Amino acid sequence: MSAIGELRRLKTTTRKKDNRAAFFFLLPWFAGLIVITAGPVAASFVLGFTDYNLIQPPEFSGLENFQRMISDERLHQALAVTFKYVFISVPLQLVAALGLAMLLDRGLRGLAFYRSAFYLPSLLGSSVAIAVLWRQIFGADGLVNQALSLVGIDGRSWISDPSTALSTLIVLNVWTFGAPMVIFLAGLRQIPAMYYEAASVDGAGRWTQFRKITVPLLSPIIFFNLVLQIIHAFQSFTQAFVVSGGTGGPSDSTLFYTLYLYQRGFHNFDMGYASALAWLLLIIIAGFTAINFWAAKRWVFYDD
Amino acid sequence: MVRNGLTRRSLLSLGIGAGAAATLAACGGDDGGDAGGEISKEAVKLRFTWWGSDARHKRTQQAIDLFTKKYPNITVSGEFKEWNGYWDSLATTVAANDAPDIIQMDELYLASYAERGALLDLGEASKHLKTADFDEVVLATGKVDGKQYAIPTGLTTYAIVANTDLLAQYKIPVPDDSTWTWDDLKRIGAEVSKASGGKVTGVQSWGFDSGGVNIWARQAGASLYDDAGKVAIPPDVLASFWQYLLDLAKNGIAPAPSVTVERAGAPLDQSGTATNTSAFGTWWSSQLPSLATASGQKLKLLKLPTNGQPAAADSPYYKPSMFWSISSRSKHPAEAAAFVDFLLNTTEAGDVLLTDRGIPSNTTVRSAITPKLTENDKAVADYLQSVKPGPAPRVTPNGASSIETILKRHSEEVLFERQTPQQAAAGFIKELQAEIDAA
Repeated sequence: MSAIGELRRLKTTTRKKDNRAAFFFLLPWFAGLIVITAGPVAASFVLGFTDYNLIQPPEFSGLENFQRMISDERLHQALAVTFKYVFISVPLQLVAALGLAMLLDRGLRGLAFYRSAFYLPSLLGSSVAIAVLWRQIFGADGLVNQALSLVGIDGRSWISDPSTALSTLIVLNVWTFGAPMVIFLAGLRQIPAMYYEAASVDGAGRWTQFRKITVPLLSPIIFFNLVLQIIHAFQSFTQAFVVSGGTGGPSDSTLFYTLYLYQRGFHNFDMGYASALAWLLLIIIAGFTAINFWAAKRWVFYDD
Repeated sequence: MVRNGLTRRSLLSLGIGAGAAATLAACGGDDGGDAGGEISKEAVKLRFTWWGSDARHKRTQQAIDLFTKKYPNITVSGEFKEWNGYWDSLATTVAANDAPDIIQMDELYLASYAERGALLDLGEASKHLKTADFDEVVLATGKVDGKQYAIPTGLTTYAIVANTDLLAQYKIPVPDDSTWTWDDLKRIGAEVSKASGGKVTGVQSWGFDSGGVNIWARQAGASLYDDAGKVAIPPDVLASFWQYLLDLAKNGIAPAPSVTVERAGAPLDQSGTATNTSAFGTWWSSQLPSLATASGQKLKLLKLPTNGQPAAADSPYYKPSMFWSISSRSKHPAEAAAFVDFLLNTTEAGDVLLTDRGIPSNTTVRSAITPKLTENDKAVADYLQSVKPGPAPRVTPNGASSIETILKRHSEEVLFERQTPQQAAAGFIKELQAEIDAA
């Protein structure tokens, strides 16, 4: 009742009241944020300064956890693996997404079908089922090796060889280009066709049109996808967990940051350190996002 | 907690159907959560978790059914997993204060859970859980700081499982395991690989479980840990262990490293022994029936090869194959104890479980089931009798429960030749000791 009354009054009043309505409707979400997310986040901040083994009460240990990070070789390995994963898979994924979006934007027959078909992997990509499937595809007796054996190449177990294991996960991430693709597609639809017509009248080729029209007008969308996918990639967990059986192996070659954090917390009963690691990851992601926003001033073009 | 539970349950009993009550009973409390109390006459729901293969799941479920026939008001729901996922899940549920009531425990993790107060001192439950039929030495393997946190279900020992069907197929005689050495295993393994054209490898590589490295150390007159719980294996002994595994892989006697690594992370049913793609493999003797079920071929337990040194004579040891323990936070410790008592002390359960969790450590049950054993179970029992065990190694110290993860990673480093066996040995010892120090 009160919500409806609220709405009626708002209709005729000022923008300030609009905001109030917005907050009102966001209430359930805020409640969830505070109870389910913010509480544990705050708790992990406190736990980051303690020695906590999950079962007994935590003991305050000051900055010890953070000092430990400096000499923790497995943490350094985890950072190396994660950076490699983020900086290889995200650009590849965005290029694939943009490329397909442009292809679809040329007005294919059955667009809706293709859009759904390409989008499907991103719905499934971070699921356990797909990770299990990946194990099968890239395993010693997997599909990839069966295909290779048809052309006489002797494969190996791609997921169990430290030199190729991470690549299979990068391929998996690139394959889930559907989400950014759909967003690109929506963005491309917003670019008025007359710009391209005018450009082609002036003799601009495809490539020039892409560089001078598509990229600048699409830049806010590219930026949005870039920020989101980088954050997403830093947080990857399921794929590496399932494919490596929770070890980050072989030889720590798929030891994602989050996986190492999980191992410290739940294998080694080292939740204080794991909490500190969570905060380091937060700082790293925040740092990259800040750099992204700073750089955005130089290349992102806002129409309005 | 307890008072809330009672209120909730008394409200429930006012009118909600029995089905709903049974579902919700898990949220309620018991009459006191006292391990020495009476067995409840009302509906009690116990959660019971174990790891293992399909064969074990079937046998365990049969034992549960027998128990619930005896105590119709108690339901026991089994939560079973394979080894690799089991410990993640257990740590998570214990941390979330949602631990199952009855926990199948391993020697690796016993001290880690017990020293942190996650397990019930079973001495408190002695009213329901009797231990009269157990040897004192056997019970001692489940004690931490003098308290009985776990009771071994059975005994097992490290062994080679040989596929005699495969050996016959390639016309290779079964080796004499009373005299053979590691060099013999290497030589015979090479013959198998050669005879099969690489389709079957002679040996399934190991280096991923603590048994293999324990035995290797003991044969060299050393041990993995000293009595104080420090890592004590000499680096050159460990390096020679990895050198041996590397030689096997490089000469095609064991599968390619990537195959080995993939199988090491997979369930038992996908191992080289279970899929008849390796003629020899190292296993705990109690795993023979599960392996034989998966393999379908004739498997035989052989004594481990030795290095010919005098210390090797004393190197085999009896390991408690696994333990029963009860969560310290169980709301139904008395009923849980009664269930563990049923599993350990009754021939009814013994008849069903047989040797799946090791040759029963309860001596009465052991003699009662001996005539009923199948061929493979009997082979396991005979093998245990034939081994002359040396003194048992120290229980894995608190903090070292991740030894197999550390071991696996260093084995991978060696197999993929990213580190020399010497480098891996130094790294392994340093890392394992650091985990113990940090706990």
